[in-house]
Amino acid sequence: MTDADTTHRYEDSQQSVDPLSVADASQLCTDIAENVSRVIVGHDDEIEHVVTAIVARGHVLLEDVPGVGKTMLARAIATSIDCTFRRVQFTPDLLPSDITGVNVFNQKNRDFEFQPGPVFANVVLGDEINRAPPKTQAALLEAMEEEQVTVDGTTRRLPQPFTVVATQNAIEPDRTYDLPFAEIDRFMKKLTLGYPDAAAESEMLARTVGNHPIESLEPVADVTDIRRARETVAGVTVSEPVREYATRLAAYTRNHARLGVSPRGTIALVRAAQARAVLEGREYVLPDDLQYEAPLVLSHRVRAAETNADAARAGATVVANALERVPVE
Amino acid sequence: MSTATERHRRSPTATVGLDEGVSPRSFRLLALVGVLVLTASYVSVLQGVTAVVGGTQQLLTVVFVMGVGATVFARAIRPRTATLLALTAGGLGFAYYLTVSGIGIGAVFSATDRLLSDTVALVTGLEVVRMVEAGVWTLGFAPGPVFLSWYLALRRRYVLSVAVGGFALLFLVLTGDATGVTPLVGTLGAIATVGFGELERRRGTIAQADVLVVLFAAMVVLSLSITFVPGGTAGPTFLVESDDDGTLEGSVTGSQERSQITGSVDLSPEVRFTVRSEESSYWRTGVYDRFAGDAWIRTGQEDPYDGPISSPPGPTDPVRQTVFVETDTGVMPTAPHPITIEGDATANTLVTTHDQVVPDGPLIEGDVYNVESAFVNASPDDLREAGTDYPEDVRETYLQTTEGTSSAFEAETAAVVADAETPYETAVAIETHLRTSKSYSLNVTKPDGNVAEAFLLEMDEGYCVYFATTMVQMLRTEDVPARYVTGYTTGQQVDDNEWVVRGLDAHAWVEVYFPDHGWVAFEPTPPSERDDEHDQRLEDARDGGESNVDTDASEPVPVGDTPPAGVTDADAPDGETTGPDATNETFDPTDLPAAPGSSAESLGSDNDSGETPTRPEGALGPEDFDDDLLEDPPENESGGDDDREGGTGGIALETLAVGLALAVGLAAGAHRSGATARVTREAHLHWNGRQRTPARDVERAYDRLELLLARRYRSRKPAESPRQYLAALSSLRSLDPRVERVERLYERARYGETVSREEADEAVALVDAMVRERLPLVGRFFR
Repeated sequence: MTDADTTHRYEDSQQSVDPLSVADASQLCTDIAENVSRVIVGHDDEIEHVVTAIVARGHVLLEDVPGVGKTMLARAIATSIDCTFRRVQFTPDLLPSDITGVNVFNQKNRDFEFQPGPVFANVVLGDEINRAPPKTQAALLEAMEEEQVTVDGTTRRLPQPFTVVATQNAIEPDRTYDLPFAEIDRFMKKLTLGYPDAAAESEMLARTVGNHPIESLEPVADVTDIRRARETVAGVTVSEPVREYATRLAAYTRNHARLGVSPRGTIALVRAAQARAVLEGREYVLPDDLQYEAPLVLSHRVRAAETNADAARAGATVVANALERVPVE
Repeated sequence: MSTATERHRRSPTATVGLDEGVSPRSFRLLALVGVLVLTASYVSVLQGVTAVVGGTQQLLTVVFVMGVGATVFARAIRPRTATLLALTAGGLGFAYYLTVSGIGIGAVFSATDRLLSDTVALVTGLEVVRMVEAGVWTLGFAPGPVFLSWYLALRRRYVLSVAVGGFALLFLVLTGDATGVTPLVGTLGAIATVGFGELERRRGTIAQADVLVVLFAAMVVLSLSITFVPGGTAGPTFLVESDDDGTLEGSVTGSQERSQITGSVDLSPEVRFTVRSEESSYWRTGVYDRFAGDAWIRTGQEDPYDGPISSPPGPTDPVRQTVFVETDTGVMPTAPHPITIEGDATANTLVTTHDQVVPDGPLIEGDVYNVESAFVNASPDDLREAGTDYPEDVRETYLQTTEGTSSAFEAETAAVVADAETPYETAVAIETHLRTSKSYSLNVTKPDGNVAEAFLLEMDEGYCVYFATTMVQMLRTEDVPARYVTGYTTGQQVDDNEWVVRGLDAHAWVEVYFPDHGWVAFEPTPPSERDDEHDQRLEDARDGGESNVDTDASEPVPVGDTPPAGVTDADAPDGETTGPDATNETFDPTDLPAAPGSSAESLGSDNDSGETPTRPEGALGPEDFDDDLLEDPPENESGGDDDREGGTGGIALETLAVGLALAVGLAAGAHRSGATARVTREAHLHWNGRQRTPARDVERAYDRLELLLARRYRSRKPAESPRQYLAALSSLRSLDPRVERVERLYERARYGETVSREEADEAVALVDAMVRERLPLVGRFFR
């Protein structure tokens, strides 16, 4: 595969597409979510959140104890969409080039050839992202924000859609590196899966006996569908009162925490709300959409306490207070 | 956007918004303005005193210096030091006053009881303007409160500041100097200070200021309808129409301490008293020395009568009179100058510092008293040669003019007396000038400002009050001691030595001081014109069959034929009321035909006794007894009407003020109690308003729906979205599907792209229907 080939291949995905109708987009999201829920039992809401994050051009951070299905969730989504899926296991010795890719000297045509890293995929799973040193984590930054990668001075577009689903281990904090705040801010949502309840776990066991359902999971959408759905989301109306409400929420967190929600956070909130509106088949955002998305979109962006563990809780508290106090108009 | 505003009003966060709008700094500013208003209120009262006696500039300078001083010292010195400073300033002022008024600082120790009684006299209604050294007193009084209250206000001790300023104002209210609107304005300033100071401290909001507004309104209304201040305007003067001053008599003899100059007056034909006297005379009831521009004030206080009053310095003739009181009255007419009083009334007789007797409490019908008066026996030649060697106390008391007497007035006076070489000639020249150049009329409009100046320079006609006032002031500008006296003219002669005196004989004239002779009366009012007017009134009264017009003795005697006074006076041939000229036959031979009206009656009044015992509120004017005498004399309609018009003008203004205050207060109260909000909401609930854009119509419809639901269940919490609100309600009970429909339309209208006209009409119709079914709403909400 040549450099030119690569470029060409990805330029395809840069072309504009027509948006789906809201109803179709809503159906698409529902289909994906239902498909994924065949594999991940008892986390329908979280699945929905991930799907809406994808159609809202966001990235997702999953934080939980090991073994609750974080990786499986990412895989199931990638499979359902029928897109390229890469997984990067973050380890303390992982290098940035292991993510972005390197230029390799090709003996045959005596030229350097770009060997794309795992980041060149539609869905990238960064497993246990907090185990890698900040330098490596930072390699993801450009990719996540700009949807492009620069190696040896050459900038390459990433495929569309491009979504990072990162997981981080809440346990064993001694052997982890805290994610840089700048990077945390780049994740649209931070989710916690948590343990399934008894019934859901029993159901899961029933499904996983024998062949794991992921093996038989069929795609229900393609990359183009997702891109068209993204256009739909971008076209959802955000009225003046809703924008003002989002601003007031952000302002509240800024006034009641050491570090409040950044403007990027406000943008993310509105985008997530747009996706939520599409999921519900609406062409306009309601304050309810903001309220529904705010805890997951805003909490990890609010620094209310000193230590990390407290920060997560405190941030959630501040956002909950904001929703309690800030008037809807 | 108005929807958003309406929401704001309902939501508690709206208050937060206002909070940010008004900073404590603004409240501080308002509180300081309040202190300034309070200070201005009592300083204006003091300034009113100095405007009469002089010293306005010094007073304002003192106030200004004190204000600046307080500002400078506000940060520098402690409150204790400031209090000491203020007390020292007050003490020094008081000491200075004692020194100047000739009492001496030693009096503080030697005559403590007298000083105390003086103070008591002040706070029980002795007006400051009546004090002998009123100007000095105000200069001593002003610095302390001004300094201390401004100092305290700058240090944010608003309550203490108001206490100090309020004390000063209260003192002036009790003395009776601060009347009418002034104390009210001061009190409002005080309330504003305390209120805004409190708002500043507690970081209140402007929305809470409505409490203050309610207070203000209550103050205004209450203070204008209830008065408890002694000596001041007793009684709700503008709510109840009072005609105290409706008659000439009420005007000139109405009050012992202050004779207010008014506009048009009526004449009361009722008989007041009968005098049996050896000589005819004017019957004097009041003497006034201080001119306040539109009023005459008697300075000093009264002492109980005990023994003969000192006689004039020159030769006098004794004249004995017996006075029979025919109607209850508050005055004690005597021929000038009374020396001894005999009879039942003696025990209740007071003597003023001007040697005029006044009753301590009203005299009642049937009272009789005997008077021995001393007529000054001096020929015009004697008076011409009297010189200008006036005693010091006469100079001090009887040369006062108001501040800012215009140069035009002085120039006109100088022109009138250009040929006069002695004080006597000056007096005669002025008398002649006034008699000849002005006409007599009871029907005049009271001028603004200085009455004497207006009468001399601008007016063409007036009555005795105007003539006498003007003559006194003209004399004083020529450095001739003069005073304004009131009382009654001789009256109708019914027998050789008997006169019947009626209300319409009330009069004001002039007394001029001549060294070594004493006070000699002059009559600036044109006698014949006056008599015509007064006789006409009496005849009309008789024709109209009014009661109390005649005594048994007076009835048979026709008015026109009354012989006495005119006979004795060459220049006033007609009528009994010719004037002092008629009063003294002993003086008649010396009266010069060429000096018309140069009066002969005189009576010494040489010493001002400074004795000032507390005088109870007894010396009420005869206004109490006048009321029934004033009923519309039909023949004086024009005068009466004018008077009433003036009255109603005042009433209208005051009523307007009260009404305005009441309205503002009620509005603020309604706002406070939320009544306005309720009414607005109720109206809003039933009426969607006129059609606007479909989106606006839907929004309003939804607002009404919310009001309806709020009344039924609970209002939407501010942080609740409409959808959550309905969800919360429907978790209690299932909601009418129409509610949900309206809410969905509202979401579309407010957050979505558009709603169609049809949808808007649908929403309005749905809400209309629900509002109309509102009573059984619960049932309808259950499906």
